[in-house]
Amino acid sequence: MTLPPVLRLVGRNFRASIDPITLLVMFGQPAFLIVILGTMFNQLIPSVGTSGSYIAFLVPGMIASQMITGAVLAGRIFWLDRRWSMVEQIFSGPFLRAEYLAALLLTTLLFSLVGVGIMALVALPLAGLPAISGVELLVILATIALGATFFGGLLIALGGVIRSANLYFTIQSLLQYFLIFVSTVYYPVTATTPTVLKVVVYANPLTYAANTVRDAFTHSFGASDLTAGAILGGLALVTFSLAILSFRHLSFGPVQ
Amino acid sequence: MDHSVHRKTLRAPAGRRGSTTLEEGGTITDGREVIVRAQNLGFAYRPDRFAVRGLNFELYRGQVFGLLGRNGAGKTTTVRLLTTLLTPTEGGGTLFGRDLRSCGRAERARIGVVLQSESLDFVTVEENLRLYAFLWGVGRETAKARAEEMLELFELGHNRKQKPWALSGGERRRFQVARELMHDMELLFLDEPTVGLDALTRSRILDYLAGRARAGLSIVFTTHILHEADRLCQRIGVMHEGHLLTVGSPAEIKRAYSGARTVEAEFERPLTPEESEELQAILAQGGEGLVLVEGRGALLVFRAHNAESLVAGVVRWAGVRGIAVERVGVSESTLEDAFVHLVSGPPPSGVPLTLEEP
Repeated sequence: MTLPPVLRLVGRNFRASIDPITLLVMFGQPAFLIVILGTMFNQLIPSVGTSGSYIAFLVPGMIASQMITGAVLAGRIFWLDRRWSMVEQIFSGPFLRAEYLAALLLTTLLFSLVGVGIMALVALPLAGLPAISGVELLVILATIALGATFFGGLLIALGGVIRSANLYFTIQSLLQYFLIFVSTVYYPVTATTPTVLKVVVYANPLTYAANTVRDAFTHSFGASDLTAGAILGGLALVTFSLAILSFRHLSFGPVQ
Repeated sequence: MDHSVHRKTLRAPAGRRGSTTLEEGGTITDGREVIVRAQNLGFAYRPDRFAVRGLNFELYRGQVFGLLGRNGAGKTTTVRLLTTLLTPTEGGGTLFGRDLRSCGRAERARIGVVLQSESLDFVTVEENLRLYAFLWGVGRETAKARAEEMLELFELGHNRKQKPWALSGGERRRFQVARELMHDMELLFLDEPTVGLDALTRSRILDYLAGRARAGLSIVFTTHILHEADRLCQRIGVMHEGHLLTVGSPAEIKRAYSGARTVEAEFERPLTPEESEELQAILAQGGEGLVLVEGRGALLVFRAHNAESLVAGVVRWAGVRGIAVERVGVSESTLEDAFVHLVSGPPPSGVPLTLEEP
């Protein structure tokens, strides 16, 4: 039996495009950070808002940030496919551009979920978070899916436009670190947070995702999370459309 | 070089006489199935910057069509148009009888493409072959057997566990061709597949491709190595600055465009000064672009565009004079001569011309 084209492309993304060491580093780094940051800062920070301990605050944020790890990996696959002419090769085969894009986004999602799984295995026992309900698990997964689509779409759209590896990977790194650090992944927004920083943090979609995942873990999911989900969904639609647009105008030939 | 002088013997594109549409999408022209048809095909990256323009040619089933041209002539853009990677901005064409603009998965599933640039995945050579087969939906067992066949055929067996980027340039090129042959196809596009290959490997690959073509595979082949095209292709299109200068069989193109050829005639005895002068006068009268190299003694050597017809005149003259001709030789014209002759002139204007079919 032949698999549908999208699944064949996803299978190929997993088997061929990322070497195991890259995967280990990308997924291992956040887990390592949780262990180190969580342990060290937990001693310094007595409690954070409704989360309780700092590590209980950090873990849901780090879980949410896995959508960026997934997106970075998918963006990297796309860029390498362009660099090594696999995009051209695949597009001249029995695949639609939409299928390739869908496969990249599905890969983003799957990578994100793998990251979430690793985080959950490593961090949840440390954080001592309460068990979550099925609905809360669904909320977390839906948030991750929307966020993965948003960040995946964004990086794919950029990868389709930028023709220089240096520029692409520089922008990707900047985005990755900016979005993670200027969000509520590592620290909460408090009354003492400077206004400018507050504005930027609340304009960052990762903040919505981190807050929603955190609320799901602390059983405080509410209307504000629904609004956040809707905003994240809308933004995901925008970056997804940008990715489609960049695919339509994708140029072939050498990229450096 | 004024191309119009040499094009006067050619006729305009054959037109679409006798074309009928097949139910499966192909078309029949003059009893042969047309696999690819370009009709005034053009592509511009910007409104004022055409990469190719006014391309007209057909490729029939089981035929090998060569696209020749200097770097930047538009060969790769033509391949990208015909493989539906680019959408024509002018004119059009068909692939398996379907308009290029509406071709999709079904048509692309019937073609194979070896790109000019290297394309590879980050796994070993063997895994690359099998993974590519997986992408194309080839069954696991078939893929395994075919990978072995390709590794042997393209002498990559000892490289099977290496990553493609660790291979030499020639090995990487062999790998590219081998990988593409992992799936079934009716039409294969080869964009400079033999760059960097040694003569023996080139010869083996060409033999293999010729065999596949005899079995019904149609091939579009771009190359800079002209004797390869001469050997493999039934029809050739010469491109220059985005235009197709001519289309025809290698023999026709050589005949029409190879320019002056050298004739050596040796007589049974040295000619007298009067005989030499008489013969030279005859040659000068009928010779096109005649250059006399040697015209004394028993040997006559000259170059002319219409070498064959002048040879007939020399033999006739010798017969009348009662002088036996010991030996006559006309130098073989090469595709390279014709190519250089064609592309060294100014870029063409107007409709490209098509040579008579063989």
